Amino acid sequence: MTRTLTALLFVAVAGTASAQDICQGIASRCEKHITSNYIPDGQFYRALLQGDEMAEFNLTLFGGATYRVAACSGETDGNLVFSVYDTSKERNLLFTNKDHVNAPFWDLAIASTLDVVVEAALDPSKAGSGCAVMLIGFKR
Amino acid sequence: MALLLLASCGGNDQGQTTGADTLAVIDNPKESELIGVGGRFFSVPSPMQAAMAIKEAGLKYQKELAIPLEKGDAATARMSQALMLGAYGADMSYATVHKDAQRALATLESIERLGAKLELSNAFDKALAERFKANKGSEDSLMRFSGMAFRAADQYLKSNDALDVSAWMLAGGWVEGMHLTLADPAAAKNAKLVTRIGEQKGTLDGVLALVDGSNVDGQSNALLMGLKELRSAMEGVKTTYVYEPPVTDAAKKTTYINSKSTAEVSPEQLAAIAAKVAALRNLILS
Repeated sequence: MTRTLTALLFVAVAGTASAQDICQGIASRCEKHITSNYIPDGQFYRALLQGDEMAEFNLTLFGGATYRVAACSGETDGNLVFSVYDTSKERNLLFTNKDHVNAPFWDLAIASTLDVVVEAALDPSKAGSGCAVMLIGFKR
Repeated sequence: MALLLLASCGGNDQGQTTGADTLAVIDNPKESELIGVGGRFFSVPSPMQAAMAIKEAGLKYQKELAIPLEKGDAATARMSQALMLGAYGADMSYATVHKDAQRALATLESIERLGAKLELSNAFDKALAERFKANKGSEDSLMRFSGMAFRAADQYLKSNDALDVSAWMLAGGWVEGMHLTLADPAAAKNAKLVTRIGEQKGTLDGVLALVDGSNVDGQSNALLMGLKELRSAMEGVKTTYVYEPPVTDAAKKTTYINSKSTAEVSPEQLAAIAAKVAALRNLILS
């Protein structure tokens, strides 16, 4: 009941908030996970997700580097599930934050260069739709 | 038609969460289309990584390989400005990694002027230049500031229906990174750098998808043609990939990806790739 009232109040106050505003707030929070020892890759990735929709991010990860992947949605950490697969026919799962309480960031230390696909989806137990933001940093 | 966006969700720490609890309304369908619904996105490696690879390979720093600083001022078309801005980003990375702070700062000034023309003053402004000057002795800080500024620019562009400009900037930076790697004949004798070139076959597919996906009015046709020709030149590059199980250290929040890959590029293939990259760079400079 309280949550419903909060939601209605937010709509009344915010009126027609834009996706841009909402994604901006999420991005600002997500940036904090790319800490000062990582160099941002210079790109901003976002997708509007509804229900069980999934966004797919295609990346090349270079050998010898460690990448920090931060994935955020909503007002708190842990709302976005992301999984990293290789691009082989078998599509091997390399990592999923599902195994780590939907951790909002994770480091991938790469031995040898590979192309990967990062799939991101909202945790259905926490959100029905929302703006998904992914940020990437790297270090030598 | 308004689309409800549910910006989820407090309360899950109480274990009561069954749905989103904060609502906002997106009333601009175009905007919701812009950010994509369940779409595919392509990342282009940071040009900083190309600069680092060049330095680690021990190639000599040659600032004359970079685009002349005055060249950006002559760019009048939006596409040309965006390609050049991205390319200057790679040049600034090259100078920064090689500890040429003076050149990096001068390049930043060129970026600032182009950024103003592209309405990107939020990302490239005097404050950034001041931060650069104040930290010019710290290569790591400069690399981080640069990455943050380009990310802010990309965010602004993607939030303002300028996906074409975003794609041009990323393509310009990637092509310039390839140029800086290949322009020195010594690169052809360095196995690691040659491999790095071959490894970017998949990256090029992403660059192509980005440019193609935002080419609504045909402005990018020449660029696309050049990128496709480069893709043809890379077609014969032989790559292998062997999956190895990754190892996760949960305490360190790190997963070690142990899979092995190779990329073999023959001298003839490398020469063909270099020629296509040179042609693309000429397109950016024209």
